[in-house]
Amino acid sequence: MTITAIPASQGYLANRPATTPDPNGGNAFANLVSDFSQTLANSETAAMSSMTEGGDPHTLVQAMAQTELAVETAVTVRNKVVEAYQEILRMPV
Amino acid sequence: MTDFSNALEVAASGMRAQSTRLRHVSENIANTDTPGYRRKTITFQEAMTAENGLGLVETGRMQLDRSELSQIYDPSHPLADETGNYAGSNVDLLVEIADAREAQRSYEANLKMFDQVRQMSSSLMELLRK
Repeated sequence: MTITAIPASQGYLANRPATTPDPNGGNAFANLVSDFSQTLANSETAAMSSMTEGGDPHTLVQAMAQTELAVETAVTVRNKVVEAYQEILRMPV
Repeated sequence: MTDFSNALEVAASGMRAQSTRLRHVSENIANTDTPGYRRKTITFQEAMTAENGLGLVETGRMQLDRSELSQIYDPSHPLADETGNYAGSNVDLLVEIADAREAQRSYEANLKMFDQVRQMSSSLMELLRK
């Protein structure tokens, strides 16, 4: 019993560092999210200025198109993540 | 940002420049009968942005056409000189209409580019959905 348990625990200890959280790992994702919210804020500013101060319509259309693409990308990536998570949940344990 | 959003920005700058050109054309047409009016012309130039080296287009300085003003014979006009002529504008309507049409075509070309970039980017994301 102990003979089989020791290699198992050794294997567990050997693989354990892989599961420790990496403090720098989330930066790329955080940059992505802040970039996304920056795009949204730009389009809101452009929309407000074109409605109230008669701003440039080209800027508005450009900001709207960029927001549309950003939202589309974000939604697609989120759907992929949720799909992968559900795939893991369905795994027979 | 990505090449897609840069391309969108370049196309929008082209549309902006063409609409400025169209504004000057309509100012010229509106002032065809203004005495002493000289037609306005603008130039286009490449605007290099320092941070990402995008080749945006922008309109340069507005210049006045130095050609001869037309002499109009009307002795009853307040500006008429002793020969009965006064200086009209040097706007040629035919030139202005042609210029306006050219601005329209260039605008459409930029608009097509804008739409194409949007479609390409959208169909790239379409790949992930399957």
